[in-house]
Amino acid sequence: MPSMFTVALKEFSDVVKGRRFIVLVIVFGLLLTVAIASVYLTVMQSINIPGIAMPRGFLGRAAYTLVTMMSYFAPIIGLALGFDAMSGEKEKGTLKIVLAQPVYRDTVINGKFLAALLATSLAILVASIANIGGAAFVLGVTPTGEEVARLVLFIAFSILFAMTYYSIAVLLSTISKRTTQSMIIGVVLWAIFTFVIPIIASLVAFTARPIRIGQNIQNMTREEMQRLMEEMRSRIAITEAINSFTPNYHFSRIAQYILNIYTGIAIGSRTSAEVRSISIMEGLTSAWPNILVLVLITAIAFIASYMIFMRQEIR
Amino acid sequence: MSYAIETYNLTKIYKSEGKTVVAVDHLNLNVEKGLVFGLLGPNGAGKTTLIMMLTGLTLPTSGSGKVLGYDIVKESLQIRKKVGLLPDPFGFYDHLTAEQNLEYIAALNDVPKAERKKRVEDVLTAVGLYEVKDRKVRGFSRGMKQRLGIAQALIKDPELLIFDEPTAGLDPEGARAFREQVGRLSKEGKTIMLSTHLLFEVGPLCNYIAVINRGKLIVQGRVRELIEKMMVEEGYRIRVKATGDVQTLIANIAQLNEVSEVKREGDTILIKASRDVRSDVNKIALSLGLEISTLQVEEPTLEDLFMKYYRRDEVAEHA
Ligand SMILES: Nc1ncnc2c1ncn2[C@@H]1O[C@H](COP(=O)(O)OP(=O)(O)O)[C@@H](O)[C@H]1O
Ligand SMILES: [Mg+2]
Repeated sequence: MPSMFTVALKEFSDVVKGRRFIVLVIVFGLLLTVAIASVYLTVMQSINIPGIAMPRGFLGRAAYTLVTMMSYFAPIIGLALGFDAMSGEKEKGTLKIVLAQPVYRDTVINGKFLAALLATSLAILVASIANIGGAAFVLGVTPTGEEVARLVLFIAFSILFAMTYYSIAVLLSTISKRTTQSMIIGVVLWAIFTFVIPIIASLVAFTARPIRIGQNIQNMTREEMQRLMEEMRSRIAITEAINSFTPNYHFSRIAQYILNIYTGIAIGSRTSAEVRSISIMEGLTSAWPNILVLVLITAIAFIASYMIFMRQEIR
Repeated sequence: MSYAIETYNLTKIYKSEGKTVVAVDHLNLNVEKGLVFGLLGPNGAGKTTLIMMLTGLTLPTSGSGKVLGYDIVKESLQIRKKVGLLPDPFGFYDHLTAEQNLEYIAALNDVPKAERKKRVEDVLTAVGLYEVKDRKVRGFSRGMKQRLGIAQALIKDPELLIFDEPTAGLDPEGARAFREQVGRLSKEGKTIMLSTHLLFEVGPLCNYIAVINRGKLIVQGRVRELIEKMMVEEGYRIRVKATGDVQTLIANIAQLNEVSEVKREGDTILIKASRDVRSDVNKIALSLGLEISTLQVEEPTLEDLFMKYYRRDEVAEHA
């Protein structure tokens, strides 16, 4: 047990002092500036359009940017910390030196996981606080107590999301012969989850449920209207079913429930009862299958890495 | 008898990509404590695999073994507490300094925090790296890394040191420094195991050797005993230098029953015999009134030993 903390401490300080981590934080800082500027512009435009209601509260205005930013930042941080976790040490030969000491193999992998948890938590916490602070400053609106509670939960689930990607990356790093291989597969997988599957989902839904609006909506009969709504719903159901194969989908669902917003793929997908504002507890209850999925992916990827690593031949 | 290393039919079979490699094949070793033990064999003989099994870095396919009395499968953690290993190949964290690398190793060995700094400085001094302790390992030469590798193995104050290919890639100066280091460690009472395919660089240090090829043990024993055995088996070679009527001397020596060959090489006489015939030669010379300036048995070298057993194995392989 003490050795696990020894490994974790060393790994954590390596990560935090490492170039990769610093570069990521800087890149994210730049993206943040752009994001905050866009929040500002959107708000300014909305104010100038007469008759358009301003979104309510801090979250109403800033949440969308926050979720979008996080849906890119968390996976990248997870991948960046994990892709060379095992293969890098094998390649450099440091693994042999470490395993020649009185430590069990699981100490090494557990220590790394703990260090990654600390490092991602730090990165996401810093990033989120900067993001929230920046948005609050630009918008001139501060979050209420309830909104702060929602944001804290959101940060926690962002960490979970990052760790999902970290675990996947560690698994790739464990089974890959070389770090370059694990990095390439990691990036490809990320692109598939982030871009390819959502595109395929829309294409499939579009092809399977073509929506024919042959006439003006105003001229539709009640039945025709209803049929159109049905088609829209089933189209969204198909999209979501396909997207649910990505961790990203589950993260955005959790974020929408927790932050009480409806964005992107969730728009119009639920019954009208759900469109009203939901409490934190209701949000958690609705999000719980998605939370479970992320926890499961993380656990399965980690346990698989663990089991493979325990029996692996190291040369 | 307390052995440092003992193995019983120790076997390791690798199966990868449909190929099966018997890396270590029913190996039986008995190495006493306090020796400098040379594990000799060509590349691919199974030396590294054996070392990895001895230190719990890989599991045997069958057979068993003990290191310092601990079972290599069930008690490998105890083994790694007391055995300093220089693996091959190995590397350090090159973004850390020599000192930081060793502090991490010390922490993994549960060296109390208060003692860590001193212990690290001591081993750095022992390998002559104290001056560069604050330099990042990235800039280290092969020789410096090698010395840091030895320092790393010394941190736990081990009873047994296992060095895998310790002189590979070292320049002659580095190899010499390594030999001196081994001499010092051996004097301190540590058991040392050296695995190498470079016979000349570390062979002369060893007082016990095992030769392996294709995973199989070819011979093991104390170097002294092996050499004596070889002289009995292959004959003694005796070198004589005499002044006077050398021709008659040669003719007389050739009369001895045990002598199979006598020949002259410049001013020396070379004798091949199945027994140490030096006293007989001395008597003959005295009776002839000749003066002998040199009369010595030429011992086979480690290389002769290695080549003999290695050749025999090659021949057996092709039979
Ligand atoms: N992890 C492994 N997987 C498959 N074969 C291996 C592995 N490690 C070693 N071998 C094979 O086992 C044999 C012995 O290798 P090794 O123990 O490294 O020999 P040596 O150290 O004497 O050069 C070689 O044929 C080598 O290719
Ligand atoms: Mg080897």
